[in-house]
Amino acid sequence: MREMTVKVFRFDPETDEKPHFQTYLVRVNDGARVLHALHCIKEDHDPSLSYRYCCASGQCGSCAVKVNGEPVLACMEEATDGMVIEPLDLPIKRDLVVDMEPYLDQIATLVPAEECPLPTQDVVEQIKPLRSCIECLACVSVCPALKVIDFSGPTAMRESLRLALDPRDTGDRVAEAVEDGLFTCTSCQACWKVCPKDIQIPGKAIERLRALANEKGLTLPRHQTVEKLVRETGRSVDRTQETFLEQVPEVLEPYGEVKGTVGFFVGCMYNNRLPRTALDAMEVLRRNGIRVIIPREQVCCGSPLIRTGQIDYLNTLKRRNIDAFVFRGIDTVMTMCAGCGSTLKNDYDCPFRVMDINEVLTKVGIEPPARLELKATYHDPCHLMRGQGIRTQPRELISQVVDLVEMPAICCGSGGGVRSGVPEEAAALAEDRRIEIEKTGADIVISSCPFCEYHIMEHTDKPVKNITTVLLEGYREKDRRKKEKEC
Amino acid sequence: MRSFEVIDSHVLVIGSGGAGVRAAIEASFSGDTVMVSKTIAGKGGCTTMAEGGYNAVLRETDSCEDHFLDTLKGGAYLNDRELARILVNDAPGRIADLLCWGAVFDVTGECEVAQRPFGGQRFPRTCYAGDRTGHEMMMTLLDRLASTDVEVFNEIAIIDLLKDGDSVAGAVGLDEKGEIVIFRSDATVLATGGGSRIYDISTNSSSGTGDGFALGYRAGAELIDMEQVQFHPTGAVYPYDARGRLVTEAVRGEGGLLKNIEGERFMERYDPERMELSTRDVVARSIATEILEGRGTKNGGVYLDVTHLPRHQVETRLPVMLEQFLKFGVDIRDEPMEVAPTAHHIMGGLRISSGGETSVPGLYACGEVTGGVHGANRLGGNALADTQVFGRRAGESAGKARKRSISLDEGQIDLQERRLAAFYAGEVNPATVARSLQTAMWEGAGIFRTGSELEKTLEMINHLSTLNLKAANRCNLIECCTVQNMLTTASLVVRGAILRKESRGAHVRKDVTQAWDASNSPYRHTFLSLCDEGIETGVWE
Repeated sequence: MREMTVKVFRFDPETDEKPHFQTYLVRVNDGARVLHALHCIKEDHDPSLSYRYCCASGQCGSCAVKVNGEPVLACMEEATDGMVIEPLDLPIKRDLVVDMEPYLDQIATLVPAEECPLPTQDVVEQIKPLRSCIECLACVSVCPALKVIDFSGPTAMRESLRLALDPRDTGDRVAEAVEDGLFTCTSCQACWKVCPKDIQIPGKAIERLRALANEKGLTLPRHQTVEKLVRETGRSVDRTQETFLEQVPEVLEPYGEVKGTVGFFVGCMYNNRLPRTALDAMEVLRRNGIRVIIPREQVCCGSPLIRTGQIDYLNTLKRRNIDAFVFRGIDTVMTMCAGCGSTLKNDYDCPFRVMDINEVLTKVGIEPPARLELKATYHDPCHLMRGQGIRTQPRELISQVVDLVEMPAICCGSGGGVRSGVPEEAAALAEDRRIEIEKTGADIVISSCPFCEYHIMEHTDKPVKNITTVLLEGYREKDRRKKEKEC
Repeated sequence: MRSFEVIDSHVLVIGSGGAGVRAAIEASFSGDTVMVSKTIAGKGGCTTMAEGGYNAVLRETDSCEDHFLDTLKGGAYLNDRELARILVNDAPGRIADLLCWGAVFDVTGECEVAQRPFGGQRFPRTCYAGDRTGHEMMMTLLDRLASTDVEVFNEIAIIDLLKDGDSVAGAVGLDEKGEIVIFRSDATVLATGGGSRIYDISTNSSSGTGDGFALGYRAGAELIDMEQVQFHPTGAVYPYDARGRLVTEAVRGEGGLLKNIEGERFMERYDPERMELSTRDVVARSIATEILEGRGTKNGGVYLDVTHLPRHQVETRLPVMLEQFLKFGVDIRDEPMEVAPTAHHIMGGLRISSGGETSVPGLYACGEVTGGVHGANRLGGNALADTQVFGRRAGESAGKARKRSISLDEGQIDLQERRLAAFYAGEVNPATVARSLQTAMWEGAGIFRTGSELEKTLEMINHLSTLNLKAANRCNLIECCTVQNMLTTASLVVRGAILRKESRGAHVRKDVTQAWDASNSPYRHTFLSLCDEGIETGVWE
């Protein structure tokens, strides 16, 4: 037996004006789960505590709660000392019990044909991973889209794809999915990352449904424009100024000793819209001993096409990009766009290693910049944090140059084709970001993704800067101070 | 009497597992149907947790006669012959229904439903959806249910059946806020599942508290063979608080080996022919014996090993097991599981006809709450089939019940109100009583039993039943009622066990020596009702 302190969210709407937290000291056995700690509270301390559970073995999806802010199944997650247990971010009925039914009702059901041909083994294998969902609604509770716009939610989309694949179903699931908000998903990956069954809803369900929608001619017109642009120019956004690739030589040598060489995959946004930021990054790399090779013939990574289900042209892009780096014998390709990095890592079969610039810089270890008298908050790009698992490295860099104030990691609304396809949703999510930014009291916002930077910039009056730009400012300040001293 | 919300229907189905939903679907073709669930429909009950599979004869090389004989042999010849015959005959049709409604079972390359071997069967006839077969069925049934007009009431517990004279005419429910809801119906179907939560170590979900046995018994129904409790051979032993969690028979079906601490495949000594795939009663006793005789692990289990199987097979056929054990720190691809017996399924229950009619007019039953189908030991894979076969039959019969005008018995509702009011004045935490009961049952009415221990256990149950349960608030009222149901169910199990003075199937009396084997036992069913109890005699043909 061991003792632990557990802090639990309590709220009885009939007697309490507002929720409060209560702390309990519980005794549980070795290896006890969160659920067992709740049982202990109910049996030994407070029989009035309400929570849901049934199977206690991860199969029914009744007991999902937030533990230390993350949705988990209470029956499967190990109890830890000091844990904070809250209900999912869904309408609360009492204590840890949330109202699940309205969300469960949104999940479409199979309408069988008269003749029901069994799905083939191949189709069964495609459907099976989608069917392992236990409808715990962890995904729904973290989905940013359905908080601001009509969207049936991640798990409803999962089942819609299953029905679309099942030969026994008679519904027009793809058209229904479009109606139910298929194009409102920002591909932020939050749903997948909290799924206890590890169902990759954005990649394996939503993007597939969008591809089926594309076959039916249901792709949003604005997404079609992007696809056309990629075909015609190799880039997913227009050029508005001299591009990055036009401003740099093919090889950038570092200022000092060469500590490493990377190929640089610039991506459409940094090339066409934010070349200044990419140039800042080059300076930081050169200062830290990185030789950068920049193949000119590189094109769009294809992410805007994959996320919107327009995959016909994808293989051409992939081949051109892979060839561009392989031809130069490059073994490490660096990305600085979170979207490109995630795509190269997860959607490509690359014959070389792909690293984000934050990984490169923390791996070599950077020259310390001067500290700037600024308070900054950091916006985690979804495709960096969840798409590539990069969370600590940006913080490690930022805290060397400014004071960092954290804010919750929530999608800004620019991804998944939402910024172009459903601008009102993108704006609503950015507004939520603005509010969170305000709360931190930060002077500037730092991020590490051109889509996030560009989008948040439009919705806050605080300066929004790339990590490398801030590092460069730190170096310039350091140089200035050094000069000052010398004078 | 206060005024209550009264919900009228032709058919009332109590329970939302595989049998309940199947019954509701079928009943809905005949009239207004209401289904009441103690949980959120689809999440509670044990169907959704059932992992291994569904037995049905689907191949020409197999036969219903063989399935029948396997079921009888596995059931130690205590099965009601007619019910067992119906089970095997109807099972293929009912899986066809599920497939038609969209169930995603594993299929072969030839697009036939895949089948795997399970214990006690001469043919691999267990159909499966990986190791989440019951969950797949439940999802499918809920889809089908959504296409009917069945009205579903979630998170309402039934605390008593309503009587109109001698017949059942609905039920009294209690919602999550502790308010009484009256359900009035021409026909009422009990599909409340099992009750092995009366044991300290159990595979059952939170709803496996024997509510239906208790409700039926109090309404005057006759129950049979309640002593027949299946201990599943393989329940998890670690972590302690999750002890009893089911480790599916599919693990052995896929080739898993049982070994003791010395690495010996001990089944060789108990059933050399069928080894790990012997029937559950035999395997459970073998494991219990190994542990009792000191050849168990330090966590009190034996090893169940799949490390010799191809990793891919473990990953695709047993993904839930893999995931669960990984969560608890064991990668079953590389290390053996530790397992020990766990209370699983109650074979006994309400006596039913082939149409699911109980001995009380107006009351029907299906699924685990009924007795007779599985005799003294259920074959793995027969329970899911049972839910569908008898769920449909009970739903159909209930649907055909004649319409009648029902007068509400105010006295009975008053009684329930007083019962609830008494909980506010009670003194004992129901959770404490449940825990004492579970320990007493595990120790005194477990795998191995004796007359004197059973008597002692019954005394304990009777004592616990006299305690005044305390409801801390309105949300605790349901728990108090549930603990009363557990006490009643436990009493039925122990009284049945005292009545059956022989070892048969899952019921082992160490204090009885007998000169017969199961097939020519002089005893038939034990029976228990409010007015009578005993054991039937006579050798079956």
